[in-house]
Amino acid sequence: MTKLLEVSDLTVGYGNAVALESISFDLARGEFITFIGPNGAGKTTLLNCLMGVLSPRSGTVVFEGRALNGEAPEARVAKGIVLVPERRELFPSLSVEDHLRLGAFLKRRRSREATATVLDRIYTLLPKLRERRRQLAGTLSGGEQQMVAVGRALMSEPQLLMLDEPSTGLAPRITEEIFDTIDRLRSEGMTGILVEQNANLALSVASRGYVIEVGNVVAAGAARELRQDPRLMAAYLGAGDRYRDIAI
Amino acid sequence: MDTALFLLVDGLTNGLVYALLALSLVLTFTVTRVVNIAQGEYVMLGALTLADLLQGRFPGSVYLLVGGLALCVVLDARRWRSDWKGALLFAAGMLLAAVGAVALAKGALALQLPVVAMMLVALLLVAPIGVLIYRFTVHPIPDASTIVFVIISVGVSMSVQGLGLLIWGASPYPVDPVASGGTLLGPVFVPYQSFVILVVALASMGGLYLFSEYTLVGKALQASAMNRLGAQFCGIPVAKAGGLAFLLAAAFSAISGMLLAPLITANYEMGFMVGLKGFVGGAMGGLIDYPFALLGVMMVGGLETTSAYLASAYRDVLVFGLLIPTLLWRNARQRAEAR
Repeated sequence: MTKLLEVSDLTVGYGNAVALESISFDLARGEFITFIGPNGAGKTTLLNCLMGVLSPRSGTVVFEGRALNGEAPEARVAKGIVLVPERRELFPSLSVEDHLRLGAFLKRRRSREATATVLDRIYTLLPKLRERRRQLAGTLSGGEQQMVAVGRALMSEPQLLMLDEPSTGLAPRITEEIFDTIDRLRSEGMTGILVEQNANLALSVASRGYVIEVGNVVAAGAARELRQDPRLMAAYLGAGDRYRDIAI
Repeated sequence: MDTALFLLVDGLTNGLVYALLALSLVLTFTVTRVVNIAQGEYVMLGALTLADLLQGRFPGSVYLLVGGLALCVVLDARRWRSDWKGALLFAAGMLLAAVGAVALAKGALALQLPVVAMMLVALLLVAPIGVLIYRFTVHPIPDASTIVFVIISVGVSMSVQGLGLLIWGASPYPVDPVASGGTLLGPVFVPYQSFVILVVALASMGGLYLFSEYTLVGKALQASAMNRLGAQFCGIPVAKAGGLAFLLAAAFSAISGMLLAPLITANYEMGFMVGLKGFVGGAMGGLIDYPFALLGVMMVGGLETTSAYLASAYRDVLVFGLLIPTLLWRNARQRAEAR
């Protein structure tokens, strides 16, 4: 199986503090993995580092057989890596459709028909966006904004989709909707890294999971195994159970 | 009554000239977070380049342009080791641009083009200087704080003014208006130049509006202004977006200078004052709001002509005094919004 992404000994820090300590993992094409763990564990730091927002202190990241070396985020998008950031980072006074078109900014020379096809695929995946296509992003609900962020990321037809806490601040019903979309993308063969606090939910989508705590991987394995590990369930997967209570 | 009407027309004309400048300031600030004190220098460069072209002299701004292009090649020197092909291509491109600029200036002089065409040539020579200055001052430190950029832009303003003095000397240059004469509009005599200013200013603003709203690159520029990180996540090269903002801002300011020059005669230090007046207007919109910035410059234009008529010695004092109530008002508004 060819590896799409290989991360070895990645260490990232802010000033004197180390946020991630020699993290290593790899990801095959078509695989969907998740990083779970409490707030401040270094999950967002990992994605920001892979995206090029932060530079690592040491370690290597190899994408499609080539080492990534300090490229800016926009250059990584060109290589096929996209991030749906936790804070969504939308443009408040641009419309939904503007966001989607800008998501494909690097492919702007593509024919009108090709763009329309991709746009149509996104609207089919996220039908709410079609209804709201003319609405300004700043006036959308949290769930709709999350959908815009996902749709915008997909517009560049990425090789690797990274999602940072897509359930943040959303009502359970909306979270479910977002995760259904993610699950559908996975079943269609999208390669992805999902970062979540809501472990049960994350492990229901991903095939493999890594549990990280204060910058270190403390457990890793197939999603099914992680879900059955009583010790992990008690320590890290409680969030999922709480969530279930709220949902009922 | 007639006096009031005359002042109104005059104030509006001035306001429109400053409007182009305020537009430049808002555009630059929103996309790059640079409060560009040096924005007025493009006004000077535009005006003096046009004066040169119209009076048959080789435009001095070409020296600045060629020098800047050469400096770009020097700054790119480190690339020769790792990627000599790319570096060679870049150097060749810069050389081609320099030759192109000289040829354009010489050609325009030889053909003795009409005023409007000369304005276009001057625009092509001055606007790229904006990109060069962006390359030298902002591009190397994209994450610097606003105050650092302010200090840098003051330095740029001083340097460009110094270079202007070196190239053009201290003497003022008269510039012919696009159209001389005027017409009686009711009781008021309106010079044709005022109509030209109106048309050009509206066309420039309309052009910027259409570009921002109806092209993907324009939307990308807006996106970079609204959320830099979000724009990067879309694959928008934000550094290039900043360069584009500087290019457009330099173009608008140069146009402003070419329209203004016939009214006040051009000289090497005209830019700073005009730049500050554009800033006073732009401050009304907090340097981020185009409509309020336009309202602001119209007030500046109106106040300037009125005070020139009633108390000419205090003209600039009154205009800059406008900044104080403006800032107080913005502060109060912001507090009200925060609540």
